[in-house]
Amino acid sequence: LRGLNNLLFYRYRDLAPQLVPLDYTDKPDVTLPYELIGSMPELKDNPFRQRIAEVFSEDGDGNMTLDDFLDMFSVLSEMAPRDLKAYYAFKIYDFNNDDYICKSDLEKTVNKLTRNELTPEEVRLVCEKVIYEADLDNDGKLSLEDFQHMIIRAPDFLSTFHIRI
Amino acid sequence: MHPPAGPAASPGPAAPPAGAELLRWQWQEVQVPCLVAAWILVASLAKIVFHLSRKVTSIVPESCLLILLGLGLGGIVLAVAKKAKYQLEPNMFFLFLLPPIVLDSGYFMPSRLFFDNIGAILTYAVVGTLWNSFTTGTALWGLHQAGLMDPGVEAGLMDFLLFGSLISAVDPVAVLAVFEEVHVNETLFIIVFGESLLNDAVTVVLYKVFNSFVELGPAHIHATDYVKGVASFFLVSLGGTAVGLLFAFLLALITRFTKRVRIIEPLFVFLLAYVAYLAAEMVSLSAILAVTFCGICCKKYVEANISQKSRTTVKYTMKTLASSSETIIFMFLGMSAVDTSKWAWDTALVLGTLLFILLFRAVGVVLQTYVLNRFRLIPLDRIDQVVMSYGGLRGAVAFALVILLDRDKVKAKDYFVATTIVVVFFTVIVQGLTIKPLVTWLKVKRSDHHKPTLNEELHEHAFDHILAAVEDIVGHHGYHYWRDKWEQFDKKYLSQLLMRKSAYRLRDEIWDVYYKLNIRDAISFVDQGGHVLSAAKLALPSMPSRTSMSESSVTNLLRESGSGACLDLQVIDTVRSRRDKEDAAMHHVLRGSLYKPRRRYKASYSRHFISPDKQERQDKEIFRQNMKRRLETFKSTKHNICSSKSKARMKEKGRKKKDISLTSDAPNGRTHRSVPWQEAAPVLVMVSSEEEESDSSETEREDDEGIVFIARATDEVLQGKATPGSLDVCPSPCIIPPSPTLAEKELPWKGDQADLAVYVSSETTKIVPVDMQKAWNQSISSLESIASPPGIETGPQHRRFACPVLEEQPQSASQAMPEQISCFQFPSHVSKSGRSLSDSSPDGVEQQELQPLMAAEEQGRALPPAEPRRLMFSRASHI
Repeated sequence: LRGLNNLLFYRYRDLAPQLVPLDYTDKPDVTLPYELIGSMPELKDNPFRQRIAEVFSEDGDGNMTLDDFLDMFSVLSEMAPRDLKAYYAFKIYDFNNDDYICKSDLEKTVNKLTRNELTPEEVRLVCEKVIYEADLDNDGKLSLEDFQHMIIRAPDFLSTFHIRI
Repeated sequence: MHPPAGPAASPGPAAPPAGAELLRWQWQEVQVPCLVAAWILVASLAKIVFHLSRKVTSIVPESCLLILLGLGLGGIVLAVAKKAKYQLEPNMFFLFLLPPIVLDSGYFMPSRLFFDNIGAILTYAVVGTLWNSFTTGTALWGLHQAGLMDPGVEAGLMDFLLFGSLISAVDPVAVLAVFEEVHVNETLFIIVFGESLLNDAVTVVLYKVFNSFVELGPAHIHATDYVKGVASFFLVSLGGTAVGLLFAFLLALITRFTKRVRIIEPLFVFLLAYVAYLAAEMVSLSAILAVTFCGICCKKYVEANISQKSRTTVKYTMKTLASSSETIIFMFLGMSAVDTSKWAWDTALVLGTLLFILLFRAVGVVLQTYVLNRFRLIPLDRIDQVVMSYGGLRGAVAFALVILLDRDKVKAKDYFVATTIVVVFFTVIVQGLTIKPLVTWLKVKRSDHHKPTLNEELHEHAFDHILAAVEDIVGHHGYHYWRDKWEQFDKKYLSQLLMRKSAYRLRDEIWDVYYKLNIRDAISFVDQGGHVLSAAKLALPSMPSRTSMSESSVTNLLRESGSGACLDLQVIDTVRSRRDKEDAAMHHVLRGSLYKPRRRYKASYSRHFISPDKQERQDKEIFRQNMKRRLETFKSTKHNICSSKSKARMKEKGRKKKDISLTSDAPNGRTHRSVPWQEAAPVLVMVSSEEEESDSSETEREDDEGIVFIARATDEVLQGKATPGSLDVCPSPCIIPPSPTLAEKELPWKGDQADLAVYVSSETTKIVPVDMQKAWNQSISSLESIASPPGIETGPQHRRFACPVLEEQPQSASQAMPEQISCFQFPSHVSKSGRSLSDSSPDGVEQQELQPLMAAEEQGRALPPAEPRRLMFSRASHI
């Protein structure tokens, strides 16, 4: 695990060698601004790049400290419990941070996933159906419980939600 | 070809016939195709016979039966013709019988699952097959050296390695035949099956290399030959794959331009795949790999390009071809076994081979899995390994290869042939027979056939992106990274190039899933329309069928809309006026049976169809309407708290409680078989839009039905177990454990009727054209009379609350109940009353509301069958 942490640290430092000091013993207050992460060429086409950075960063604006960076990885590691994963997945969908996936959140997700190829009408239909499928307490939006329930129902769902290095 | 024999034709210069021939016996000309057709016919008829008995086919795999049949037929041929005829010829097998099976498996390969597990599949296919070949070969050689074998077996190390290479490859045909009936979970299936497909390259190379070594003789083999062998492996496998990809590309490109020649679209798929096979075979690359990858890779684009009808054609033709090939292969395998002239038996060799292939496969699987599990996200557990070892079936490929051996070069060919036949028979029959009980006994995770929900689709995509993003940020180029890159490449270039513009737009997967879900709904609607159609036909024979078809479909549509309404009274109050108006308008349109879709929808849908004829448009419109209504209902129910959503919630519980409810499912399953018309009624399917080819014993699926569950709730009421409070559907999360209630046991048909109930509401009848109304009125009102005590004459809404106890609960279960009876009766009654009572005519739309009033007058005539009465009594006694 230690080796992994080192690995991640070097990666973190590689992102911005001029900002991040090599010596972390006195816990310097360093954050990577979102622009750095968002402008990575690999991430250019990824619809969720900003959202991921926002969710995992402490300040919510996508600026990441080393801790955030490590957190992000540990959430997606194999050791992380299911509930934690579900929670973070939920948070990624919850664009307006109101602890519910409401229709506007879903519309955003769908639009991101389809790269705005669907007409608004189609997006609306899809979102309605998605909510219809998963909304158990019938409030027109998905709470964390709804989300967890839906995800647990699909057997291998969260187990694929991780990364190993 | 010869000219047809006629009186004037072909006088025949050599021997002038006595006169002009009237007919001539021309068996010689048609012999070959005739024999082919005859054998296919025999095999297919045999299949029908096998499937006459469900019991037999559920225990014995079809492949076993076919082999046994082949043995029998072979025996007969041998007895009649005094020599073995009609063998499985390697050429025929490789050129004609194998390609359809491989194409079918490649084309319908779940590509994502396949590529998710590609690492494991490749490992087992390459390393596993190599391991099996070498260990089996050397072990047999050791046995030979130890002097345990008959001295007649003249074989050196190379011969045994050659034999090992051909006997150790898992056979795709056999695996598919057996595993299709076992239904293990998808991962396990894809690994075993993928291995059996991809090991072809290894087998081909090993076989060829060893064959040439044997021909050269051990003395003349140089080190370079070994290197050549290794090099040829890469050449054969990668070359085969490349050929497959090339043809997949061509195929996709061609189908892009078939817009005007829709009718030959399916042909291209088969032709190009076959040409890929032949091309690979021609340059001695791995033909199986070529076709497999051609199928896997072209599918996405081809499916997007060709029309819906062509898709169906491709699917069915492919399945037909593959299935008949498989049948013939197994039958001929059986027939070939009787040819004793090829046999030379050696007990030690046979037993040794059997033992070694089983042993080494198990060892190989365990060793490889041990390594693989370090890299796999979801490790393969012990049970999986057992199934994988045991599922290594050998089949016709091994047999064809061993027949191809040259007797002059490979002295022990006869022994090898006999051993191969025994091994194939043993694996297909013994292992094939026992694998099903084994899987059950080990409690291997079965595949669950739940259809992908929109949620899953959505989250799967989102997760992919998220994971790819995180991998990017962390700077790790893992699996997600590459998949993401591939998808972007595909989206940017390949799809643009290979798909029609219109299709490309439609290929968006999320919309696709949504679309498919809705299409399923629509299909089940039309199906249901077919049922009502038959009822309507009985009632009104004079009605032109075309009209009645459309009307009946619409009837169903309206039923559906009624379902929402009848679930919630408040909804009716608020929405009714608008709906009435809409319905009236629709009714007008319907009268001419011209049902024009609205332009708005057409834009987004018609692309999918070539030239939507009237019927299609109708279906489409119906389907649109259906969805719209559902959503409307859904929305409006959101305002009023009680709603159809409760269905969904109960559905959830149904899923949760699946394990518990398994026992109570059993009666449901029986229901379907015992009540024939219910079995046919696709309403069941419609509710959760779960359109699977469900055999009725798969009750888990039915459990997903929200409304089935409501029926159980009703049962609870019947038993007086549940208090009204616990039945309340409003948000309180109450769970009603679906235990088999008394009523369910007593009345096995009870479990499902609520499905129908929801769709038959009084509102439904409103818009049905007048002549249909008659039948409806009569049937429904006569049913009313049965359902509710004749004394009570209430309005249409009170009608629903025939039993006073339930009246307080504005709740689907209680509403559904009285109607269950009416709708349960419905089909039989429409026919009955329709025939006998077509004279009496209750008139307009308004009258419909007053059906119960007419109940009394109809009651005398309509003879209620015994069952509803029983229900009445039981209900009365319980409440």
